[in-house]
Amino acid sequence: MRIVARKGYAATTVADLTKEAGISRTTFYEMFEDKEACFLAAYDATAEALVRRVANAFESEDGWPRRVRAGLAALLDALAEEPDLARLALVGVSAAGPAAQRRYRVALQRLTPLFDEGRDFAPGGRALPANTSRMAIGAVAGLISDELAEHGAERLSDLLSDLLFATLIPYIGPVAAAREVGANE
Amino acid sequence: MATDTRRDLILAAMIRVVGSKGYRETSVAEVIEEAGTSRTTFYKHFEDKHECFLAAYEMLVERVFAEVRASCDGERSWLETVENGLAALVRLFSLDPELARTAVVEVAAAGAEARQLHWNAVARFAEFLEDGREMAEGRELPENISLMSAGAVSGLIFDELLAGRASQLQAQLPDLLFAMLVPYIGPRAAAEEMRRVADAR
Repeated sequence: MRIVARKGYAATTVADLTKEAGISRTTFYEMFEDKEACFLAAYDATAEALVRRVANAFESEDGWPRRVRAGLAALLDALAEEPDLARLALVGVSAAGPAAQRRYRVALQRLTPLFDEGRDFAPGGRALPANTSRMAIGAVAGLISDELAEHGAERLSDLLSDLLFATLIPYIGPVAAAREVGANE
Repeated sequence: MATDTRRDLILAAMIRVVGSKGYRETSVAEVIEEAGTSRTTFYKHFEDKHECFLAAYEMLVERVFAEVRASCDGERSWLETVENGLAALVRLFSLDPELARTAVVEVAAAGAEARQLHWNAVARFAEFLEDGREMAEGRELPENISLMSAGAVSGLIFDELLAGRASQLQAQLPDLLFAMLVPYIGPRAAAEEMRRVADAR
């Protein structure tokens, strides 16, 4: 992941990977079929760690808007700590082909249960479309990718209010969402 | 044949081949075979596959944009305008899955410049939504509200296309509509619009 983040997926060779890891070519091919298989495994592990960090932050708070805020803040912190990795995880992943893109979408969907709590929080939330959490996640991922592509990771933490707003909106609407964002600042 | 026409044939072929095979797997040989032109003609117009793809992508965006805009003409309210626009986009994508896949999924594999073209296109569609601020009746909506709306919609479309379900995209229209409208009019009113459109079908 480190090398791909630095060089880009297409330019990375198996030789780069074995050198960085200090292992032999034979060992590499004992573990992975090819570069793509290795990348996908590394991607899954990175996504897993990110999702767990977000979930832990989420669990540490009470009340859905506060929980979501904590989860989003943890996500932004993690991405800002490793800007190259952040860019690879959200933007560059698509260069690694359809299988990698699918892994990215699957990783995003693992956040669904966190968002689904919004249904219990929102008045009439159970009647919302089944896709509501997917929409909210899409909006959040879109805003972050946009920021990463345009300005890099430097100002990521400024996005927190907007992300919280985008998350709350499908469940409680723009007025209540603005109120919650204001109350949690 | 006029050279402009040949160039257009190559661009159209690029969109189809990338949409069915994927950007990385697409070769110049396949594009010229699909277009029915010679290798010489290809290299007269384009430096390489990448340059050709960028030109093809720009053409694609203009075409999609023209179609969406045509569907919005003459409508009165913001709601009608954006609903018709989204319906036109979804119709176009479901009728032409290869174009849709190139437009939304494969573009991401074609490098930073191509991704930039894609962002620009999403931002252009988001501009259509800007007038929705008036729906909020004087309440201050965040600056990037239209990007939230367009981002949610494009995420849902991306998932469907990645799963190879372009032809079923039409069935998703009510949900897409909800995602597009909810930042502006809230969940209750958006759900009402969603049900209205679902019932009308």
